[in-house]
Amino acid sequence: MSCSCSRREFLARGLYGIGVGSGLPMFLSRTTAALTAQALQGTSMEKHPERILVVLELSGGNDGLNTVVPHGDPAYYRARPRIGIPAKDVLKVSDTFGFHPSMVGFERLYKDGRMAVVHGCGYDHPSLSHFSSMSYWHTGVPNAGEPLGWLGRLADDHLDPHSRNQIVNIGTSQSLAVRSAKHSPLVFDDPSRFRREGTDDQKRVLAHVGDGAPSTSSTSANSTLDFLSATARNAADSSDFVRQASSGYRTPVDYGIGGAFGGGLQRVAALIAAGMKTRLYYVNYPGNAFDTHVQQGDVHARLLMYTADAVRAFLDDVARLGRGDDVAVMMFTEFGRRVEENGSLGTDHGTAGPMFLFGKQDRIKAGFYGRPPSLTDLDDGNLKMTTDFRRVYATAIKEWLGYDDTDVVLKGRFDTLGAFA
Amino acid sequence: MSRVSRRLLVLAAVTSCVVTIAAAPPTTSWVDNLSPITAADWNAERAAHLLARAGFGGTPDDIARLAAMTPQQAVASLVEYERVDNGRALPFDESGVWDRGMDPFPPSRADAVRQARERGEALGVKALPEGSPRRLQPIVDKFFYGLRANSIETQRLGVWWASRMLTTTRPLEERLTLFWHGHFATGDAKVRDYRMMLRQNEMLRRNASGTLRALLVGILKDPAMLVYLDNGENVKAHPNENFGRELLELFTMGVGHYTERDVREGARAFTGWTNDVLAFRFDDAQHDFGGKTFLGRTGPLDGTDIIDTILTQDATGEFVAAKLYRYFVRDDVSPTVKAELGRSFRAGGYQIKPLLTRMFLSKDFYSQPSVATQIKSPVVLVVSTYRKMGLRELPTIPDFGRLTGALGQTLFDPPNVAGWAGGRTWITPATLMQRGNLFRDVLFADAKTFRAPDRLMPATYARVGDNLAKGMNVTEATKEGTGDAESNAQVDRDEDYNTRYASYKGYLMAFERTKPIPRRVADLSLVSMIAAAHASTADAVVDHFAKRFLSVPLPAAERSAFVEFFKGKSLTDESALRELLYLVLSAPEYQVN
Repeated sequence: MSCSCSRREFLARGLYGIGVGSGLPMFLSRTTAALTAQALQGTSMEKHPERILVVLELSGGNDGLNTVVPHGDPAYYRARPRIGIPAKDVLKVSDTFGFHPSMVGFERLYKDGRMAVVHGCGYDHPSLSHFSSMSYWHTGVPNAGEPLGWLGRLADDHLDPHSRNQIVNIGTSQSLAVRSAKHSPLVFDDPSRFRREGTDDQKRVLAHVGDGAPSTSSTSANSTLDFLSATARNAADSSDFVRQASSGYRTPVDYGIGGAFGGGLQRVAALIAAGMKTRLYYVNYPGNAFDTHVQQGDVHARLLMYTADAVRAFLDDVARLGRGDDVAVMMFTEFGRRVEENGSLGTDHGTAGPMFLFGKQDRIKAGFYGRPPSLTDLDDGNLKMTTDFRRVYATAIKEWLGYDDTDVVLKGRFDTLGAFA
Repeated sequence: MSRVSRRLLVLAAVTSCVVTIAAAPPTTSWVDNLSPITAADWNAERAAHLLARAGFGGTPDDIARLAAMTPQQAVASLVEYERVDNGRALPFDESGVWDRGMDPFPPSRADAVRQARERGEALGVKALPEGSPRRLQPIVDKFFYGLRANSIETQRLGVWWASRMLTTTRPLEERLTLFWHGHFATGDAKVRDYRMMLRQNEMLRRNASGTLRALLVGILKDPAMLVYLDNGENVKAHPNENFGRELLELFTMGVGHYTERDVREGARAFTGWTNDVLAFRFDDAQHDFGGKTFLGRTGPLDGTDIIDTILTQDATGEFVAAKLYRYFVRDDVSPTVKAELGRSFRAGGYQIKPLLTRMFLSKDFYSQPSVATQIKSPVVLVVSTYRKMGLRELPTIPDFGRLTGALGQTLFDPPNVAGWAGGRTWITPATLMQRGNLFRDVLFADAKTFRAPDRLMPATYARVGDNLAKGMNVTEATKEGTGDAESNAQVDRDEDYNTRYASYKGYLMAFERTKPIPRRVADLSLVSMIAAAHASTADAVVDHFAKRFLSVPLPAAERSAFVEFFKGKSLTDESALRELLYLVLSAPEYQVN
């Protein structure tokens, strides 16, 4: 293909899809894309253009039964004689349920009316493999080989790919959940290292060639090089803003000592404070941390404490920034754990578990949703899910972000829960 | 335009296409072709490709040596590495941080405290007399000492291994050991015992090119793996499935080839496989000798029977061969290649060397989609750069573990049981930028401002020391946060012991007892390198760097910008040469091999 345009434009066309861009000047093709997107949606482009969704992943399979503890159910204590949380210690929020004693932060959020808990989330034919199950939650299409993430598809369908950084993923690697056909998610871990180093002379040379200038000559046959060039361009375009927003951020809110997870949420708050136009944020609790096969008591308590501290702090922080109305948080894990404790004071891989939604008091309708799964009517020792997790996704997409066509993004029809006002 | 002239034009276009195809390298037809290349096809570029993948790349001399052989000899010189003397490879030099009484190491601080409350001692340390303030403090101090000292020893272990990768005369041995480390992923963050990690590393190296069976038996009896997958807790009354599941899913067959029942039955067969700290132990009291049905085979199967049953499955040969292919050849493996490599791997008794030889000699390995399309892993990126520079000793300023860790790969600490996902997952906007910056600290190392990570105390604990030096008492010195967060309130709590103080104390004790990592900058002279290459103009210097370091030609625009940058500078100006090399190593093209 011969192209007299600059390498950058050439790349942009490749990224944005040849159908829109080819043969038109760039400014025209952008307009066309916007109009096309608007036309496809029928109405105005955005009901709630200011709203932000933050998705939190607890990797490793969080033990839902010891998180939202069914302290009113004797079957729970029968199945977990040694690791069950004693009823007297549970932070009770109802006659039947309460939080793990270390989740003081969640108790407060719940009592303040800033939190919804959805019971028994899962999917049919559950996989007990971390990696398979997590990929199903990431794609939103269980037991299929869907290549894109559900947040990536959501962005493809609704967010302008010409507007940079619609998706931010805090982490050392990109999550499948944000993999998109049109967007290049901004993925970073430590913002202070997110910059090009060198002398001014070197930076000038690098800005000219190294960063953001894919070589059209030798690379058209090498998709790895094309990929690297596209990524380099994204990095060059965004790094200064992200670094300055993060390094300048000061908050009086105490995120606790949970390290990476609290730190990740604080980075999100910094970007929101700096006015980043990002609509979708993704933060994970890394390292398969919640995989508590053995002696889980202390370690699980610590993980839950860090989690509750960080989420509570984040919500307080965005409220402090005056953006509480615009931010909702959704939290999930790839599976819950076996009902019965194992021989090692831990729990093995299981199926369904609770999901969590958070937001400002009058935005979210706090409380419990869905039917709690039975602890005695089990599927081979595992909970039978009662709520397809994609109903919670649909709730976030439709009730929160205001996009009605959840069935397109989720590749199936899922009723929403009525959890947002 | 007349019809005739149009026809002529079309004809001309067709002719030029034909010419183009004929002139192109014959590598399109080589895709998925497993037959060996011939000596006529062998050249320096292909030798460089082989060394980049089957080793860590090398200097122009290293490549010339391989290029002078036949392809069979070149591949054998890498694969049959036992024939190569490796006398210079030194064993790991332990600091000796593990005291009597520290085994078995308690799983958590809380557990150490529980032991101390019950027995009046733990970790070989006695509690202070009843009624003393913070009577359990010495035990909690010792617990944190154990964690920190172990973590420093593991850093030292990483430096030792990296150094071995750089200096070994058997590069494929280390490349394979690194592959198996990712395949049988085990992380010290959970194992918390560098001695186990070292033993595992030695076991993997010993078996790296032997048979898959030997590796499986080795890894399933390996203390680090037994701890990592909790198999010490896999007992008859309550089988723990972690081990059995990962064996099937990640080590041998992949999902879709077994049932949940196979997972559970497999777990039963491995009950009682445990370890006495550093040695495998079969605990017959905890082993389930009952009948089991696993992948269609029934009997009182034990762990070895499970391994042998797995090895009868077609899926096993294909799964492992395909993973080796993705590591050494390219990301996408075609179904036919996968089936054929898997079949021959299994038929040949899962011998690894013949499989590797076949892959490295295949036309497919040298076909266009296999060449310069792989993203270097962080460890390969750094080690191969040092090799291409011709370094004989590992630079430790900057710190090796920090360099690769910032890019997502720390030796002895893979992210989870699945190891490093590799390929494009290495690259994010941030890591790509960091990769571009990476060699600045090598080329312009600053020993004065360098802070050694094996002697670095996190700020929150360093503050404790500062506060104590100011005369505060322990309670005052360890206060942090506003108290809103439950976790800060818990750590500050000051009863039988003070956790934050213990953490601080643990660092100090660990710094005293561990050998420091010797620190040195890269022993590099680009002036000599350029002189030896007889490069006497700016163009020649840029071309030499590009050829020596890159696996793809430097795009014309970049090349001329680099030449422009260096013009007017002296060939004997080491610092100017380093500035130029930094630019070359910053190019996105440098990320592939």
